[in-house]
Amino acid sequence: MTSGTLTPPSTKDDDLSALPVVPARHPWRWVGVAFVLVLAAQFVHGLVTNPAWDWPTFARYFTAESIVTAVGTTIFLTVSGTALGFALGIVVAVLRMSKSPFLSAVGWTYIWAFRSIPLIVQLLFWFNISYLYQRLSLGIPFGPEFVSFETISLISPMGAAVLGLALHQAAYAAEIVRSGVISVDRGQLEAAAALGIPRFRQFRRIVLPQAMRSILPNAANEVISLFKGTSVVSVMAIGELFYQVQVIYGRNARVVALLMVATVWYIILTTLLSIGQHYVERYFARGDRR
Amino acid sequence: MIEVLGVHKSFGTLEVLRGVSLEVAAGEVVVVLGPSGSGKSTLLRTINHLEKVDRGYITIDGDLIGYRRRGGKLHELKEREILKQRKDIGFVFQNFNLFPHLTALENIAEVADLADARHFLGRVGLADKEDAYPRQLSGGQQQRVAIARALATRPKVVLFDEPTSALDPELVGEVLDVMRDLARSGTTMVVVTHEIGFAREVADRIVFIDGGVIVEQGAPDQVLDHPVQERTRAFLSKVLQ
Repeated sequence: MTSGTLTPPSTKDDDLSALPVVPARHPWRWVGVAFVLVLAAQFVHGLVTNPAWDWPTFARYFTAESIVTAVGTTIFLTVSGTALGFALGIVVAVLRMSKSPFLSAVGWTYIWAFRSIPLIVQLLFWFNISYLYQRLSLGIPFGPEFVSFETISLISPMGAAVLGLALHQAAYAAEIVRSGVISVDRGQLEAAAALGIPRFRQFRRIVLPQAMRSILPNAANEVISLFKGTSVVSVMAIGELFYQVQVIYGRNARVVALLMVATVWYIILTTLLSIGQHYVERYFARGDRR
Repeated sequence: MIEVLGVHKSFGTLEVLRGVSLEVAAGEVVVVLGPSGSGKSTLLRTINHLEKVDRGYITIDGDLIGYRRRGGKLHELKEREILKQRKDIGFVFQNFNLFPHLTALENIAEVADLADARHFLGRVGLADKEDAYPRQLSGGQQQRVAIARALATRPKVVLFDEPTSALDPELVGEVLDVMRDLARSGTTMVVVTHEIGFAREVADRIVFIDGGVIVEQGAPDQVLDHPVQERTRAFLSKVLQ
């Protein structure tokens, strides 16, 4: 770059290195910013001045005991659905990736079945399982029974909801886990095998932590969509957030204010989940820092 | 020490190894040369059963690798038993294959206790890099960590699969230095490489493979300077030009 041959002839006598650099200007970006700011200001103004939003009612119910209890139920459904769903999902993913054609078919069939049935249909099935099977029993297949239970007392509505959400979630979790595992370089498994690391340890220590990098964003999507999807169990008259809000506005007809109560709670909790996602992702990216 | 007898291996219709027999004595350093596609990497990978053989067998210290003889048959071992056998066989990959989410020390500590891991990291001259992640190391340093990791199970033999082929030229030397030290300390080594200079200096024996068979083998000066076979001469004239 110091040699004269690279410099165009016309500037031979100018020393360009002494000139200040002016970055490219983007005036249209400022037009865009102004446009969006005006829209946002209008929206906020409407929220404050339009009495139909009914903020006093919102304030009265936002931290009401029945609502807070319902938020707790929603969180419980999300946590148990996620935990059981991903635990089962890992098992299903391992089956699906098994070298045994039989186990692989079992995994594939599970995913096929539970992705095919709409969540709400499945939930109603579990809710009504006692119509199908009045009694459940442990014993020798086609032989004597040791213990038996009334299905209706074994599977409560809440139990049916957790079961349904977890089984549904497991099918999706299995595919997410599988996508993570197949994204790990083959050489990693070869290296682990060459070192004689036992199979389960290979999966837990070598494959899974690396797979987590591509599993996490998808898993976070799933958790958040499950969190909001718990509103589906309102069809089973379980007092989660959305059901509770419906009950209240059914009584007092303040539909908008109460929907806003639910909305703001969903936004707050999703925000917390997103922040958690950021830190968990950062942890699993630790080998990627320079 | 290592005995390879009549090993055949095909991938689909392509026969990569067509009856290879090779013996390596304890403490011996054998360098395997050959054009790409000649089957030299595959041979190395059959020794620690990363590839199954179609015919023939491999023993290390008299133990069959990957199989058990019972009755008149060879029964394939369970994966757990094969993994145990692999602790006796160190393997160094062309692409290092370090675990990227673990530090240099943790990579080695996967297969050794911490004191041992530190010892082996020191042995490849990287004691000060124990907390570095692979991405923070140069290619040469990564390969040295990989060598330390391969040594950490205290194997009877270490196999090197083109250990310097993925490195920038200026980084090749530091890896070869580590390998030279290992050879001097009496480690049994089988090295697939294109580094003719290293082969000449360090090898006790050079094996030239082409078309899935051993074409020629012998002391370095014999094979490199006075090759008997036409194919060996043709290959060497291409690499040495």
